[in-house]
Amino acid sequence: MTDMPDLLRLAASAARHHAQRQAVLSANVANADTPGYRARDLTAFREVVGDMPMRQTRIGHLGGGAGAARIVDPGTPGDPNGNTVSLEDQVLRGIEAQRAHDRALTVYRSALDMIRASLGNR
Amino acid sequence: MTEFSQALSILSSGMRSQGQRLRHVAENIANADTPGYRRKTISFHEEIARGARTGAVETGPVRLDQRELPQIHDPAHPMADDLGYYAGSNVDLVTEMADAKEAQRSYEANLKMFEQVRRMSSALTDILKR
Repeated sequence: MTDMPDLLRLAASAARHHAQRQAVLSANVANADTPGYRARDLTAFREVVGDMPMRQTRIGHLGGGAGAARIVDPGTPGDPNGNTVSLEDQVLRGIEAQRAHDRALTVYRSALDMIRASLGNR
Repeated sequence: MTEFSQALSILSSGMRSQGQRLRHVAENIANADTPGYRRKTISFHEEIARGARTGAVETGPVRLDQRELPQIHDPAHPMADDLGYYAGSNVDLVTEMADAKEAQRSYEANLKMFEQVRRMSSALTDILKR
């Protein structure tokens, strides 16, 4: 039972991370035709959270926010005007972020359900 | 939730810019046969607010293409000079069509991301509704 709040916190920070990632990807898509714009992405959630154990030792560790946006290496050489955004790649990453976000929310919801069930509130 | 509203405003700035670009393309095509008309272009750049990059896209001022206007020989034309030449427009229809296609494709990508962000935020709101 005491593990539940940890699980909720982890799921919430995962959801927040993927929402932030979606915002970064949105900026890439909006700037798909901006000369000299380099595509950005967030560091993976795994690297943000760190290794096991997932215990919050200090306030702000978990859910303290995602890593800073970093410039990703473009797989393609990019446009002649220096823009490295590939729309197909960005849409793919967007779907990835959306699925991860959904997954985090599902974990959150089922943890919440378990807590409710244990309280006999259903 | 702020990430979502931020993403939505960035995407709408993208759609607005592409729409503006398409408007200038339409103006260029409409004036492809106007004597002396110079092709209009706009530039895109990333918006910077209070020294920080916001990720939104902005359009620069409208510029006129400074390429030389073609001299068309037609002595019967009312604007023809003594030698029978008048200045045409420097609009190239093929370039305009390619530009319009690119604007449309980028607009659609923005719209797709917009829908995706909206789905994500409604999934988040569903938890609150329970």
